[in-house]
Amino acid sequence: MVFLIILIASFLLQLVLPWWLIVIIAFITCGLIGKTGKVSFWQPFLAIALLWTAMALFKSLPNQNLLASRVASMLGLQLWWWILVISSVLGAVVAGISGYFGYQFRKAVIVVKKSNA
Amino acid sequence: MRKKIKALVCLFVPLLLIFALNTKFGNLPPLLKFLNPFTGFWQNAEHTIINTSSQLVLKGTFKNVEVAFDDRMIPHIFAENDHDVYFAQGYVTAMHRLWQMDFQTRYAAGRLSEVVGKKALELDRYQRRMGMVYGAENSLQGMMADPKSREMINAYTDGINSYIHSLSKSQYPVEYKLLDFSPEDWTPLKCALLLKQMSAVLAMGSTEFYMTNILNKFGPEITANLFPDYPFREDPIIPAGTKWNFKPLPVPLPPPALTEPRSADIKTKTLEDGIGSNNWAISGAKTASGYPILANDPHLNLTLPSIWYQIQLHAPGLNAYGVSLPGAPGIIIGFNDHVAWGVTNVAADILDYYQISFKDQSHKEYKYDGKWKKTTTRMETIKIRGAADETDTVVYTHHGPVVYFRKPEHLSMADNIPTGNALRWIAHERSNELMTFYGLNRAKNYSDYRRALTHYTAPAQNFVFASADNDIAITANGKFPLKWKDQGKFILDGSASSNDWQGWIPADQNPTVKNPPRNFVSSANQSSTDQTYPYYINWEFSSYERGKRINDKLGTMKNATVDTIRVMQSDSYSILAQNILPTLLAKIDSVNLNATQKEAYNITRQWDKFFSAKTIAGSVFDLWTSRLFYAIWNDEFTIEGVPMRYPSKDRTVQLILNEQGSRWFDNINTPVKENLNDLVMQSFQFACDSLERKYGPIGKRWGWANVKKSHVPHLANIPGFGSETLLIGGAKSAINALSEANGPSWRMVVELGKTPSGHGVYPGGQSGNPGSPFYDNMISTWANGKLFDLYLMSAPNDKKAKVISRLIITK
Repeated sequence: MVFLIILIASFLLQLVLPWWLIVIIAFITCGLIGKTGKVSFWQPFLAIALLWTAMALFKSLPNQNLLASRVASMLGLQLWWWILVISSVLGAVVAGISGYFGYQFRKAVIVVKKSNA
Repeated sequence: MRKKIKALVCLFVPLLLIFALNTKFGNLPPLLKFLNPFTGFWQNAEHTIINTSSQLVLKGTFKNVEVAFDDRMIPHIFAENDHDVYFAQGYVTAMHRLWQMDFQTRYAAGRLSEVVGKKALELDRYQRRMGMVYGAENSLQGMMADPKSREMINAYTDGINSYIHSLSKSQYPVEYKLLDFSPEDWTPLKCALLLKQMSAVLAMGSTEFYMTNILNKFGPEITANLFPDYPFREDPIIPAGTKWNFKPLPVPLPPPALTEPRSADIKTKTLEDGIGSNNWAISGAKTASGYPILANDPHLNLTLPSIWYQIQLHAPGLNAYGVSLPGAPGIIIGFNDHVAWGVTNVAADILDYYQISFKDQSHKEYKYDGKWKKTTTRMETIKIRGAADETDTVVYTHHGPVVYFRKPEHLSMADNIPTGNALRWIAHERSNELMTFYGLNRAKNYSDYRRALTHYTAPAQNFVFASADNDIAITANGKFPLKWKDQGKFILDGSASSNDWQGWIPADQNPTVKNPPRNFVSSANQSSTDQTYPYYINWEFSSYERGKRINDKLGTMKNATVDTIRVMQSDSYSILAQNILPTLLAKIDSVNLNATQKEAYNITRQWDKFFSAKTIAGSVFDLWTSRLFYAIWNDEFTIEGVPMRYPSKDRTVQLILNEQGSRWFDNINTPVKENLNDLVMQSFQFACDSLERKYGPIGKRWGWANVKKSHVPHLANIPGFGSETLLIGGAKSAINALSEANGPSWRMVVELGKTPSGHGVYPGGQSGNPGSPFYDNMISTWANGKLFDLYLMSAPNDKKAKVISRLIITK
């Protein structure tokens, strides 16, 4: 569920809003419905890894990876798909961390409320 | 309490991630802003297959405009009036080259610090202090004064802005994403700045600071001997013996005294051969078709995106094809149904330094004709990314800006600028070069060509011309100050009005020739005229070698075709080698050579003197002669604290051939007395040894292309965005004047006739997007010395054209 919500929301909202929306989406989603810490890291991670890889390939394959190759060689990498791996993994890790902290945030806030009562 | 802290940490970490990955640190782009596939660089990856029926519709013109893009993505614009044609030119140029246009004009305006931060500050100061913005503002006044050029520049600006406003962030050119900045609105001033930058590239060189130091060190006699006012060998642009059929104005007389020079702590630099270019036109008497053929290849620093942008402009009274400069309306080099034209640089002396005697340290007044004259000041505010603005006050005299009171330490461009001197530069004048191109684009015959040239100020160019009426002509054209001979060869005294520029050479008296008896005209940056021309243009031009080779070839040419001329543009024969190689080889004592040197000697003896890709002798000769010239001059002309330059290549060749007992061959830093033979031998061994050290045992890797390493770098030197190393021939003093990253930036051959047949190529592509298949698609054709057909479409639906997409602009 977390996976699907993040996947769909990130796709739609990134069409008009900046990339860092994935941080907010992952944080909120996991903050509301993340079941465990593990789930709250890995589901956003996989959602963004999949979404970004798919989007990058959607742009890059019809380009015969011309630009990806140039950017890879700009960064001193030999093969174009290294830049794809770096982009997707970095995005995924950011989403994962955000989800995890969203989950931890909820736990902290709920416990705080309890102790107040 | 601990829970509260935990909650805060949970909020803080994601925010920190956003900040860290959305911000530019040093040279690193903002990582995820750049890498994410929704707005980052991936969005710039263009389809390699173009949808042939793609149509785009937008508004902003008076009438409908149709743009057809051919199979190399070259736009052919069909409009119903001048406004619309330039609006569309602005739009499509921005579509392909927005970042380049923006970056080049920011560079010209001294605004790079806004983009890259403090590291560009000295460069920005230099641009401002040289008066680039001041000059652009003056030029703009000239352009806006004429209704035609005003319409041109305003429509072009509107077209560019119409494109900029259509962009979303994800569509910004990839360099914006990499350097993390945004496009800003175009303005007419930016067009003027771009043209000023051409003046800066082609006409900002000056050696008077060095020359004054030389005069001081060696005295007038030696200075005159080593730096003569006319070269030893020349083949001038206007054929020697051409009669001047005008009554010249009286030339001002030189005042008696010369100024005391000052010095600064910098080193002598080897003077690079000037930026060169070739053009020529042959009359129908020499061609197979009976119609003239015109050729042009301007040599500039090669970059991706390309310096030039190909385009066809079609409107009532206008149907021209050629190359434009991204950022300026019109076509700079090209042809239309009736005529063809091209340009090479005239190395005119249109930049002088005047020593100023200020009354005091406030620099508010300076001495002028025995009185104190007030200076003005211009404040230059430089915005710096990540730091506070810097304000630089520039003092202006009536000559122009005082470039430096104290020079920057690490800016080699500033080396030749004397401190405390005012700069008098033609590019500060009010001018309107656009009208020249407006006129040439619409020219029908020789008199239209001559009329168009009268509007031109700077940078002075040799305008070559050919028409379907079988006229050919060439004119060294620009606004030339009326000077006494050698005025400005040395620093001038700025306190006497007699040293000022006294007027101008009348435009119709600029050196020109029409239909000379030899049936061709040509130029390769050498002296404009023989010594009978009544005015002074400069005391030194580029050396004559390329001009000589061109004239030798054209002189014997018969039944020429486009293909003959095309092959000639790639000619890499060295006149320098023809002139000095036999003399140098005769001085090699092969007994004293090691095995490698001996082999190099034998190879060089058999050299055909062509700088072809594989020649080993070419590599040896190039390194050998440059080391030899260095060995001859460096001991006398490199003195700590007194920057000087070496005598010219021409003078050095003369010395080697005719003055072999000269004192200059002795190395004054050694106790023994060297002669030419010693230097020739030493430099030959030096050349072979250093090639061996760098490329191993003599063989394939010594090949000229491998040593020269020609390539086309990205404009901002972004690695990966430039070309590979191109293993091709050519050399600085050959017609194919290709060096490491400078060379023929556009090659064009046009045969006139009932319909013109144009051919051309440049080392790059129409698109400035490194993610486009049209970014560098013409490089291999260029490298192979081939040309594409430049098809002048007659209508937007011309069946013979290979149209791959269309753009419709409606009112």
